[in-house]
Amino acid sequence: MQVKQATLAEAASLVSDGDVVALQNMATQAAPMALVRELIRQERKNLALVCLVGGIAVDWLAAAGCMDRFIGNAVSMEQFGLAQRYRRAVESGRIRMEELSETALLARLGAGARNLPFLPTRGMIGTDLIDINENLTMVEDPFGGPPVVACRALVPDVALVHSHRADRYGNVQYEPTARWPDIGIMPMAARRVIVTTEQIVDSDVLRANPDRTVLPGFIVDAVVEVPWGAHPTSFNPLYGYDAAFHLAWVAAARSDEATGEFLDTYVYGPADHEEYLDAAGGADRMAQLARWETG
Amino acid sequence: MDSVAHLDSPPAEDWTVDELMIAVLASCFTDGDQACNGMASFLPVAAFQLAKLTHAPDLIWLAGAVGLEPRPGPIPASTLEAPLWRDALMYTEQYGDFWTLALNGRWLKKFCVGAAQLDRFGNANNSFIGDDFHAPKVRLPGTAGLADMGSVGKALYYWNPNHNPRSLVAEVDFISCAGYLGGGDERERLGLSGGPELVVTNLCVLDFEPETKHMRLRSVHPGVTVEQVLEATGFEPVLPPGDVPTTAEPTAEQVRLIREVIDPHGMRRREFRRR
Repeated sequence: MQVKQATLAEAASLVSDGDVVALQNMATQAAPMALVRELIRQERKNLALVCLVGGIAVDWLAAAGCMDRFIGNAVSMEQFGLAQRYRRAVESGRIRMEELSETALLARLGAGARNLPFLPTRGMIGTDLIDINENLTMVEDPFGGPPVVACRALVPDVALVHSHRADRYGNVQYEPTARWPDIGIMPMAARRVIVTTEQIVDSDVLRANPDRTVLPGFIVDAVVEVPWGAHPTSFNPLYGYDAAFHLAWVAAARSDEATGEFLDTYVYGPADHEEYLDAAGGADRMAQLARWETG
Repeated sequence: MDSVAHLDSPPAEDWTVDELMIAVLASCFTDGDQACNGMASFLPVAAFQLAKLTHAPDLIWLAGAVGLEPRPGPIPASTLEAPLWRDALMYTEQYGDFWTLALNGRWLKKFCVGAAQLDRFGNANNSFIGDDFHAPKVRLPGTAGLADMGSVGKALYYWNPNHNPRSLVAEVDFISCAGYLGGGDERERLGLSGGPELVVTNLCVLDFEPETKHMRLRSVHPGVTVEQVLEATGFEPVLPPGDVPTTAEPTAEQVRLIREVIDPHGMRRREFRRR
């Protein structure tokens, strides 16, 4: 097996300006935040983000001017409210949103993963989401039933995911927890896959629980060990979301100046991931989050 | 939706409207139903648990559409984070398990929907406010699974803790969750089954007139007048013949369960805009 282990900088360099980037993220859960910060530091431009529910990762990428398109279900930080920098960028026309229902996004990715032109769904029929989207169209059922919505295949250029453990060949394991499609069909649809992981382990560790392996190494292009790599989002069962950090971002996002200062402190300033963790409260704070003391 | 299980418990003396709304939503779910919740859904989550503790012990709850029959303890600060599905019997992987079960047609037949805008025919909008999708006045979070649930045969139960003319409108700016569309039989003509059943707000309960599918006032909460409801609504709901009934108060036992067992931290009140 080929060794895929890389540094954050090497991994992020696999993402090019203008790429369609599938990003793991479910509101306040499980985003590969260390990679997101690295993409911002490397000043990627004109990215299209594909997410189920984008959270603070999408808000940062919008704030830093890295993205001009969003394809997905929603952008929300749930209890911390709307992603304000993203929202304003959409309202001003700087970011174009392709809003899809959940089954439509899954159909687009499923078709992409399986080399089909489209997959159908019954979702969205009757809504205004279909007519405004060139990737959705009503089609007749060739077997005589009622019409369905064809969802055009979506093949992201690259998928970014975070995981509990992996070996250096890129075989990826996930602990039993919520399993969203962004650690399944999303990377399988993408041309390239970049994985960050809490821990790189010997392959024998994976062999003890092969049922927990969710991605085979042969589809992975780079794997990077980044403990606490999803902070400030949660990564169950290892740690909870950082509520204080989210609230500080929400406050900063109200003004351009405070947004700039926040990104300087947590994204542009720290030389590496360890310095980021120190800025975010260091080992003591991480220990609290490991106990799900999120406030 | 008439509650039958609490006839042995007297009405609570000091209920608040969040508790009344939870009791009304709970009465919509019964043994044999499966219920699931999404983000920021404190009232439905409290309602499912209240139903399970009272009249519907065999109601099945899929917390966050992730965790089967969990034991979450007091409702946590998020309804889409792991503490909600603590001790679940199963994690339903979203693509293969959850959506397969939800789209099959046999299960998860009822769904609670929160919406930024809801119109007189029960169409909902969580996409944007304004007249141009690509130049919105306000970009809302996005419709996510609601855009599916409105079209795949579910009975929809809307909850709205902030009943005002901006959230209950004559016509939504954008249909992102299909209700009865233009009313009448338009939904049926598109081959859609199911549809909106009930709207539970902080002022009243509404349903839909069977022929026109226009929203109809069903009951006003104790202490609320019909005039107040009309003033707070961006269209004129159909009024029932005669006096408008008063919504049943929650029982003392329901209120006790909500306050002491289900939601002692008062997360349910986060959904109500501060006055």
